[in-house]
Amino acid sequence: MDAKFRKVLALLLVFALVTVFAVGCGGEEEPADDDTGEVPATDVKAAMVTDVGGLGDKSFNDMSWEGLKRAEQELGVEIRALESNEIADYEPNIDQLANAGYDAIFTVGFLMTDTTNAKAPEYPDVVFGGIDQFFEEPVENQVGLLFKENEAAYLAGVVAGLATLDSDLDDRINDKNVIGFIGGMDIPPVEKFEVGFIAGAKSVNPDVDVISLYAGSFDDTSKGKELALSVIDQGADVVFAAAGLTGLGSITACQERGALFIGVDADQYETVEGSGDVMLTSAIKRVDVAVFETIKAVVEGTFVGGENREFGLSEDGVGLAPFHDFEDVVSQAIKDAVEEARQAVLDGSVTVPALRTEL
Amino acid sequence: MLADIFTPDLFASAIRMATPLALAAIGGTICERSGIVNIALEGMMLFGAFMGVIGTMFTGSPWAGALIAVLSGMSLALIHAFASITLRTDQVVSGTAINILSLGLTGFLMEVIIGHPGTTDPVARLRPVFNITGPTEGLFGTVWRWVDAIVFSYTPIVYMAIVIAVVGQWALFNTRWGLRLRALGEHPRAADTVGISVIRGRYSAVIVSGALGGLAGANLTLEQVGSFTEGMTNARGFIALAANIFGRWTPVGSYLASLLFGFADALQIKLQLFRDVIRIPSQFFLMLPYVLTVVVLAGVVGRAVAPAAIGKPYEKG
Repeated sequence: MDAKFRKVLALLLVFALVTVFAVGCGGEEEPADDDTGEVPATDVKAAMVTDVGGLGDKSFNDMSWEGLKRAEQELGVEIRALESNEIADYEPNIDQLANAGYDAIFTVGFLMTDTTNAKAPEYPDVVFGGIDQFFEEPVENQVGLLFKENEAAYLAGVVAGLATLDSDLDDRINDKNVIGFIGGMDIPPVEKFEVGFIAGAKSVNPDVDVISLYAGSFDDTSKGKELALSVIDQGADVVFAAAGLTGLGSITACQERGALFIGVDADQYETVEGSGDVMLTSAIKRVDVAVFETIKAVVEGTFVGGENREFGLSEDGVGLAPFHDFEDVVSQAIKDAVEEARQAVLDGSVTVPALRTEL
Repeated sequence: MLADIFTPDLFASAIRMATPLALAAIGGTICERSGIVNIALEGMMLFGAFMGVIGTMFTGSPWAGALIAVLSGMSLALIHAFASITLRTDQVVSGTAINILSLGLTGFLMEVIIGHPGTTDPVARLRPVFNITGPTEGLFGTVWRWVDAIVFSYTPIVYMAIVIAVVGQWALFNTRWGLRLRALGEHPRAADTVGISVIRGRYSAVIVSGALGGLAGANLTLEQVGSFTEGMTNARGFIALAANIFGRWTPVGSYLASLLFGFADALQIKLQLFRDVIRIPSQFFLMLPYVLTVVVLAGVVGRAVAPAAIGKPYEKG
C-alpha cells in the first residue's frame, strides 16, 4: 500500500470519526414542528445545558426538558437542549447558546455552579437559571433554582419507615427493621435527599436502621446494582435511590432479591419501564415547574434575578408520587401518616433537616 | 462488625465486579503479547454492552445478544488492527479514536434505534447457571450459604471468565499458538524470519481481544443490569489495562489482579456501612480501588517487563 493512499485513507477515517463524534456529543433536540396555531406568539428563546448524565436520565435532566417543552407548547417559546458529555463541555455549550441568541439558559445540576457563576456576568442580556445551584452573589440576570429535596425525601422516609414494619403490605417485607439509601455523588442535593429520608423514617419508626451507601457516580448502573444488593444483604427491604442512572441498577437489584424501591426526581413508575412490581412510590422534584415558571416570568417581563429561589412542598416544587400498583396494599395508616407529615411540614410544625450535622 | 463486612456476599460481589475487568484484561494480555497496545478495550466493552442489548431486543434471546456483543467487539478490534497493523498508525492514537468512536456511536445509535438518549428499556438477561436448594438450618446451613454464594450463585459469563483465564494461561505458555504469539511481541523480525506471519498473527490477537472486550460488555448489560446506559463502562477498560500489567501480561495474573480490584470495590461498599462508626466521608471509600490501582502500578509491579516489541509497528523487509 503506497504512502499517498495511506494518507488519504487516514484522513477519511479521521473525518468519519469526527463526524460520528460530533453527532454523538452535539446531541441536540430540535423543537417539534407540530404547530397547533393556538400558541401565543413570542420571540423568546429558551435552552438548557444538561449535566453529564444527559437527556434520557429519567431524572432531573429530563424533567428540565419537560419544563422547556411545556413552555414551548403553552408560551410558544423556541427551545433547545445541548448535552454535556463531560465537565469540560459546560462552558462551550453555554457560549454556543448565548451566542445563538437564547434569552434564557438553564444550566442543570449542582456541578455547573462555578461555570454558571463565571458565564452570567459575561452575558448580561441572557437569563441564567441554575438548577440545584446556590449562588453566593448572584448578578441581576442570574437565579439559583433550588429544591427542598429533604421535604420530598421526608415523606418517602415516612412511607419506608412504616412499610418496613408492615409485613402485611408485601411478602418482600422482612422482620428486620432496616431500610437502605443509595446516593449518586455526595453533593448537597443528594445529601438533602438522604437526610430527609432518614429524618422521615425515624419520625415514625425511631429504631429503624437506615443504611446509606454512595456510588460516586450518577451513571454507573452496575455499581448501583451492587450497592443495592449490599444493603439488601444487610436486611433492607425498602431501598431509596437518589442516584440518577446509577439508581436504575438498584431497581434491578430489588427485582432480583425481592425488595421494594422508592424512585427519585420524576415519578419513576411512569418513566422506568417494567419497574412497577417494585416501585412503591417516588420522591418527586419538580424541576419542570421551576424551569417553566422562570421562562414564563421572562416571557411576561416579570423576571427578577439576583437571588436564589427555593421550591419546597408549599411551592409544589417537591412531593410524593402515587403508590400506583401498591395503592391497594399500602395501609390507610401509612397514607394518613404521610398526609400528617405533609401538613406538619406545610404548617411549619416540623422543620426537615437538610444537613447530616442537623440529624 | 467484622461479621457484617465479611459476608458471603462480599466475596460473591468481588467476583461479579471482577468479571468484566478480567475479561477485558485478558483481552489486553493477548493483544499486547502480540506487540499491539490496546487502550480501546473501554470502547469495545461499551460497544459490546450496547449491541448485546440491541441484539437481545431484536432476537429475544440474551445468548444471541451475547454473541452479537462478541462480534461487535471484534468489529471494532478489526478497525484497530487495520489502523495499527496495516496502516501502522500510532496504536495509542488509534485506540483513543476507537474509544471516542464507541462513545459517539452508541449515543448516536441510541437515538436512531431506541429513539431517546440515556438508557434502553430492560431486556431479558442471562440467568444464574445453578439453582440448587441446600440446607438452611444449623452448621450445614451456614456452610451451604457460603458455598452457594461464592461458588454457585453466578451467571454464565462469570464462569466463562474463569475458564478463559485458565485455558488462556495454558495456551499462551504450552501451545504452538502461544509460543508464536509471544514471539510476535518480543521479536517480530525473528518470528518473520522463521516463517510466522506477523500481520496475520497480530490481526488475530487484536480480534480475540475485541471478542473478550465485547463479552465483558455483555456481562455488564446482559447479566448484571439488563439495560444499556450511555457511558456505563465508567473507565473499566482502563482499569482492566492496569490489571493486565499488574498480572504481568498473563491471563491468570490478569484475572487475579482484576479480582483484587473487584475485591477492593466490594470491600469499600461494605466499609461504607460503617461510615457512622468510623466517621470518614464516603469519598474516601470510593477512592480506595483507584488508590490501589496507582499503588499497584507505581510500586508493586516495578519489575514487570512488557513485551519487547510492544507498540512498535512492524514493517516487513
